[in-house]
Amino acid sequence: QSPIVMKMQTSWPASDIWMEFAKQYVDRVEAMSGGRLKIDLLPAGAVVAAFQVLDAVNDGLIDASHSVSAYWYGKNKAASLFGTGPVFGGSGDTMLAWFYAGGGEELFRELIQDNMGLDVIGLLGFPMPAQPLGWFKEEVNTAADLNGFKYRTVGLAADLMQGIGMSVAQLPGGEIVPAMERGVIDAFEFNNPSSDLRFGAPDVAKNYYLSSYHQASEAFEFLFNRSFMEDLEPDLQAILRHSVEAASTSNTAAAMDNYSSDLQKIQEQGVTVHRTSTDILNAELEGWDKLIPELEQDPYMKKVLDSQREWVERVTFYNLMNSPDYALAYEHYFPGKLKL
Amino acid sequence: MTDPQVALSMLALFIGLVFLGFPIAFTLMALGIFFGYFAYFDAGRMWRGFDRLDETASWWESTSLWIEGFYNNRIFDLFINQTYTVMSNEVLTAVPLFLFMGYIVERANIVDRLFSTLNIAAKNVPGSMGVAALVTCALFATATGIVGAVVTLMGLLALPAMLKARYEPSFASGIICAGGTLGILIPPSIMLIVYAAASGVSIVRLYAAALLPGLLLVGLYLTYVIGRAILQPSVAPRPTEEEVPSVKLGTLLWMLFTSFFPLAVLILSVLGSILFGLATPTEAAAIGALGGMVLAVAYRAMSFQRLRESVYLTVRTTAMVCWLFVGSYTFSSVFSYLGGEHLISEFVSGLDLTPLQFLLLAQLIIFLLGWPLEWSEIIIIFVPIFLPLLPMFDVDPLFFGILVALNLQTSFLTPPMAMSAYYLKGIAPPEVKLTQIFKGIMPFLAMVFLSMAIVYIFPQIVYHLPGVFYGN
Amino acid sequence: MKTFITFADGLSAAFGKAFGWLIILMTFGVSYEVFVRYVLNSPTPWSLDVSFIMYGTLFMMGGAYTLSRGGHVRGDFLYRLWRPRMQATVDLVLYALFFFPGVLALVFSGWKYASRSWGYGEVSVNSPAGIPIYQFKSVIVAAGLLLAIQGIAQIFRCILCIRDGYWLQAAEDVEETEALAVKNATVGEHPDMK
Ligand code: NA
Ligand code: NA
Repeated sequence: QSPIVMKMQTSWPASDIWMEFAKQYVDRVEAMSGGRLKIDLLPAGAVVAAFQVLDAVNDGLIDASHSVSAYWYGKNKAASLFGTGPVFGGSGDTMLAWFYAGGGEELFRELIQDNMGLDVIGLLGFPMPAQPLGWFKEEVNTAADLNGFKYRTVGLAADLMQGIGMSVAQLPGGEIVPAMERGVIDAFEFNNPSSDLRFGAPDVAKNYYLSSYHQASEAFEFLFNRSFMEDLEPDLQAILRHSVEAASTSNTAAAMDNYSSDLQKIQEQGVTVHRTSTDILNAELEGWDKLIPELEQDPYMKKVLDSQREWVERVTFYNLMNSPDYALAYEHYFPGKLKL
Repeated sequence: MTDPQVALSMLALFIGLVFLGFPIAFTLMALGIFFGYFAYFDAGRMWRGFDRLDETASWWESTSLWIEGFYNNRIFDLFINQTYTVMSNEVLTAVPLFLFMGYIVERANIVDRLFSTLNIAAKNVPGSMGVAALVTCALFATATGIVGAVVTLMGLLALPAMLKARYEPSFASGIICAGGTLGILIPPSIMLIVYAAASGVSIVRLYAAALLPGLLLVGLYLTYVIGRAILQPSVAPRPTEEEVPSVKLGTLLWMLFTSFFPLAVLILSVLGSILFGLATPTEAAAIGALGGMVLAVAYRAMSFQRLRESVYLTVRTTAMVCWLFVGSYTFSSVFSYLGGEHLISEFVSGLDLTPLQFLLLAQLIIFLLGWPLEWSEIIIIFVPIFLPLLPMFDVDPLFFGILVALNLQTSFLTPPMAMSAYYLKGIAPPEVKLTQIFKGIMPFLAMVFLSMAIVYIFPQIVYHLPGVFYGN
Repeated sequence: MKTFITFADGLSAAFGKAFGWLIILMTFGVSYEVFVRYVLNSPTPWSLDVSFIMYGTLFMMGGAYTLSRGGHVRGDFLYRLWRPRMQATVDLVLYALFFFPGVLALVFSGWKYASRSWGYGEVSVNSPAGIPIYQFKSVIVAAGLLLAIQGIAQIFRCILCIRDGYWLQAAEDVEETEALAVKNATVGEHPDMK
């Protein structure tokens, strides 16, 4: 019997490291299904444009997508709460745990199927490391230093950074570095050291700020056309679902490996890697303080934020109380390297 | 047939159907929809509504169910999705603005001032009128991004002057055809915007990259004109005092100043602001259009009539280019859904080509397509077939784009669809034959190939300016 | 038939030309953005969204106008050699076969697509300004309707041409500079030479 072919399109260009991450999902599905399920993995633009995958999965133009929920927050702002929402103290791990154990999955289903009436099943995978504050030509030490900067970011982060005094420019990915060079923007963030390095960020800015609250708990969004999914044998459905969990681990491994070695390469190109100052982090939190009440005017968003806040309050208390001071151990064995 | 083979027959059918002369945007749309109908065919989904139907159903109910059933194929959703993708394309927003600017500037009597001034300034150079015509074209090309009007304006202005000065008709018409098409190569250029939209290459880098190759081509054209005038003075005799009067140096300088000034303003505001980082191409195009309007007013060449003409022409040409994108986006997403792209890459990788052989083959195909087709169809429809192959041969899409842009200069000049030659033929005195025009064009075609070879051998010509402006 | 053709040509031209004036708005709007961004150092958050909405509306609503004036590019190097009757016959078949399935999809499927967007109250994802785009998606339906009407007129044109042996042209309209110049064939001299 010939295999069932699932067309899966990503929101990433063919050369992006995240295509490799998506490929890890594909490999797992194909291996576990013993060849009964084959995935035709397509880059952004192959069938539809990067930002159109939700519509496309709903209409059955593609059977599945590999993207992030922030890309469709124009249809419903609540989408960004499943990726780039307020940071209450939880990491990507915390939020992914909330999704699978804290009621997030059901809330996501409610948003997609009940509120928006879409024929789509959504899962999250790969708890992304927090996204760096990004690239600056000069040092920025205080929140006041950020004032008037023309900064590139996306999603709710744009609302946030605009709220703390930056003027946010919206640019497509490929134009970021040329725009920096031309002075159209004077600072930007994208996602992670590997993507930033591939962009050529070290050519246009020499200060790279790690740690920020603007997008600190994102994950990949896997969307499946519901009729496609539900027409499959139960074991194949299970394979599609649990491979998201499996790929989460392999994606994390690949991210640790690539992001860290690319951070070294970035430093070798004469870039100074800094930690974002507490003053700036505080300004970001105050920015979220202003945004949250606006978001909570919507009853559904209020419900999601309540659920997340409650989860983070309990889980992160345990996490932080429990985790040993890793920096202490690191300092002990690799003294003098950290600049926290 | 396997899906990828179906995709290939879709491409073959398109190439055949193009020659029936139906508007290409709608041919592409139709083929995308037919083949997509096949790709997404799902009988259950189509006739879902018939379960609701019984004997008592009226004629109207069953007809509307048939229509609903027919349209209940996902291809239509894909088509709408792709249409919207073109509508929201940020790169293409520059297209109507550059077109508008071009139409405004064309109507502002800039070309004639410039040509008559340069004619006097170049008086002592061999082939002086040809040189003046080429330089006028090149300067005008640096201010605007469209083609067509320049050939005609120069044809009305420079051709009669050259013929009167006993220039050989084929030599003179070759100069005008070749010079008149430079606008679409030298930035700002609509063609490069369209290539950027099709390939994802940064438009500002493309502009920076195209500048030196464009000037190189101008240089080769000038070399040919001057060289031929020296070796064979009979094709380009020195104009007499009546044909081109001498003027005092001061007068000449003043004339140069007044005719260069408007262009300098436009070039600085458009190209300068893009390259020196003051604006995005869309913004620069808007500033250019605004500047064009101001200039037109300053030169008393602006009237409501002219403004209205420019607006209407902008709508029509923008619609022409962008509907072509609507058709080709639909076509190509069905093509890649069926796996056609895959099959082509497998086929090409099976050929075991060296990168140079691949480049030669690709450019040869594009050159041949340029005979029957125009640049817009080639870039929007055919170039995307090559783009996924570039990484296989380690070819930079920026570099490839510049070679394509140079190559497509020939598409205006080669029969049967030689727009440049036809425009000129339309306005030239009847004794200038189309065959003479083509004969005059030949050496310029050779210069285009020479420029491509030089660019290939010295890729720095492409990379130097992007490096200076934007780093590597 | 002639009455309908005149009506359709007029309708398409009226919409195409009316929306064409968006180019002036676009010119001033984008120039304003450049001014506030580079001179006042305070860019608008909506410029990008507004400019693609204007650009998209302009070319979509101009589609039928362009069709009525024969402005959509054709691979016509054989076509132009045929007699009008031959041209009209081929065109007639292809309008029926190639043109209407897609154009009607713009209306029907476009309606579905746009109404979904109205349902979400969809705004642009590009900026925090939250510029609505559902009305913009409805342009697809409007453009489809105009094209369908114009398409019927084109079919009538083909039928008339098969009957009469010549094409019925659209009313006099603006022409490209090159065509215009050919007509007038006068070009001024350099004013300083006079
Ligand atoms: Na140009
Ligand atoms: Na040609």
